[in-house]
Amino acid sequence: MGSNPRTVPAPMIVEDWDQLTFRVNREAYRSAEIFARERGWVWMHTWLYLGHETEIPNPNDFKVRTLGGRPLIFCRDSAGEVHAFLNSCPHRGTVLCRETEGSTRLFQCFYHAWTFRNNGEVAAIPDADAYESSDEFRASMGLRAVPRLEIHEGYVFVSFDPDVPPLLEHLGDAADYMTMIEQQHVGGMTTLPGTQLYSVRGNWKLAVENAMDGYHFAPTHNTFVGYLRESGYAVTDDNQYAYDLGNGHGLLVLTGHGGRISMVWEPRFGEDEKVRTERHRAEMTERLGEKRAHHVADESHILFVFPNLLLFDIEGLSIRQLEPVAPDQTDVRAWQLVPREEDPATRALRMKTVVSFVGPGGLATPDDIEAYEAVQRGIQATAGTTAPELDYSDMSRGMADEVKGVQGRSTDEGAMRGFWRHWVDAMGIDEGLEVNGDRPASFLSGRDVR
Amino acid sequence: MTILGNPGSHAVPCAGRTVTRQEVEDFLYSEADILDRWDYDGWLALFEPGARYEIPTTDHRAGWSPHETGSFVDDDWDLLRARVKRLKSRKAHAENPHSRTHRLISNVRLSEHTEDSFRVSAAFIVHRARDGHFDAYVGWYEHVLVPTGDGLRFRLRRSLLGHESLAAGARLSFIL
Repeated sequence: MGSNPRTVPAPMIVEDWDQLTFRVNREAYRSAEIFARERGWVWMHTWLYLGHETEIPNPNDFKVRTLGGRPLIFCRDSAGEVHAFLNSCPHRGTVLCRETEGSTRLFQCFYHAWTFRNNGEVAAIPDADAYESSDEFRASMGLRAVPRLEIHEGYVFVSFDPDVPPLLEHLGDAADYMTMIEQQHVGGMTTLPGTQLYSVRGNWKLAVENAMDGYHFAPTHNTFVGYLRESGYAVTDDNQYAYDLGNGHGLLVLTGHGGRISMVWEPRFGEDEKVRTERHRAEMTERLGEKRAHHVADESHILFVFPNLLLFDIEGLSIRQLEPVAPDQTDVRAWQLVPREEDPATRALRMKTVVSFVGPGGLATPDDIEAYEAVQRGIQATAGTTAPELDYSDMSRGMADEVKGVQGRSTDEGAMRGFWRHWVDAMGIDEGLEVNGDRPASFLSGRDVR
Repeated sequence: MTILGNPGSHAVPCAGRTVTRQEVEDFLYSEADILDRWDYDGWLALFEPGARYEIPTTDHRAGWSPHETGSFVDDDWDLLRARVKRLKSRKAHAENPHSRTHRLISNVRLSEHTEDSFRVSAAFIVHRARDGHFDAYVGWYEHVLVPTGDGLRFRLRRSLLGHESLAAGARLSFIL
């Protein structure tokens, strides 16, 4: 993909506070070297979203999942504890579990029949007396656990680096937006079966940018906006904002892109749902207080948790995980998160409404996919150009307001800039960031949503 | 995939008459032709009002309801019409320019369902060319059809994918 021969393209990002421009070197989306460095630096040394606890609700449940290119087993042991193991037999490296999901107390490698308990301990090594010190040997041959695993509000994160800071420190201000989702309903939330597994011909960072980009909504989703308008809902981008939450995380707060099932009614949800919405909204105020209930219920949030998790807390709730597989290809997995307890009619409405927008068969996501695939193809035009300054993408929108101390709008590109600054840091290429002029105090103070 | 009763059936009684496999094959072939020609008004006319269009996810298991699980497509009659309207728009960017599609349908089997409807299962291969790529989609149709005075109509049009996941670039922005 990378047709530019430079191994360290410089600079990767040019941030100019005199000219009020922010530019990203397009090698970041194309280069095999940069992709390899992302695998080695970002994916090896950051907390990664693995899955949701409710995907494996019962003891002995398991799923297999690839993260950062590494095959993993995500399971709950017989005692109920959640684990992430490398899905590779410690003996000779064979993929240990070749099913995608199921329930088991034991994982047995088919190759030589080594067998492991679902807490990682060796259960059996056939003819173990052939090994000189079989007890010691056996103890050293347990399943290799991913070094760190922590859970926040049911979201299971892992890190391949044993020395990362605690998860909550990494999540920072993003953590509370995950808590807000859990607070939407008394009984909490659960994932449902029916995972959207698809893949896009675009760099993973294009998917991140797209999610943090309210500017594209009206032109890219013209047909979806038209559908909402016809059903009696007027889409607006007014008075909606984007936030850089620090550590690469970003947030769009949207109040004019659509209703929210059981919280903000809109005509396409139907009259029966209106009554249920009013009842639930009143319960939320009582339970959470007026202010907190407002932030939890009335705002749609698109939350990006660096580097591989997107939460679409919009009409309904979708969890989207990004798994980069090549500079120009990203596997995507998406789950629907729903209230554990819900009226069946509301649930059916929720499922239909959510997938009418999100996913590769929806009325909107295919246009987003078209956008990142068209960018991936289009940026070949300036690869290795004799005018290297042309090989940059522009993310300057809103910098003029930022200098004035005005909060960036959802239609600006401030959340993307926060992502890219953190990316440079996570990649260990600080020299790749060129800053000209004085950067104003950023909006890291967050929002008061409690 | 649901195993249908009386496999290989070439005729089912329905709505007071006999529906033959040949009649159903002709219906499916003409639908394929309509879709490949991008005649979406013509396509919508093949549905009875209130009909549904579904594509379950690739991890789908028999018995799952789209009302209780994630899906790729879970269109009721309103959404189906919105989808057609969208696909006819120049602003449906994912399909403007249109994909070129080519459809093969085989292994058509009929089975009884209700008094006024019957089930059809069939295997499909849909090839799609766009943006220098050529994608193949394979799977099964599990439709519910109704005979009317004006020919057959879809009550449920359901495409089940045979893939483990959608391959890179292989979105479902057109009708599968």
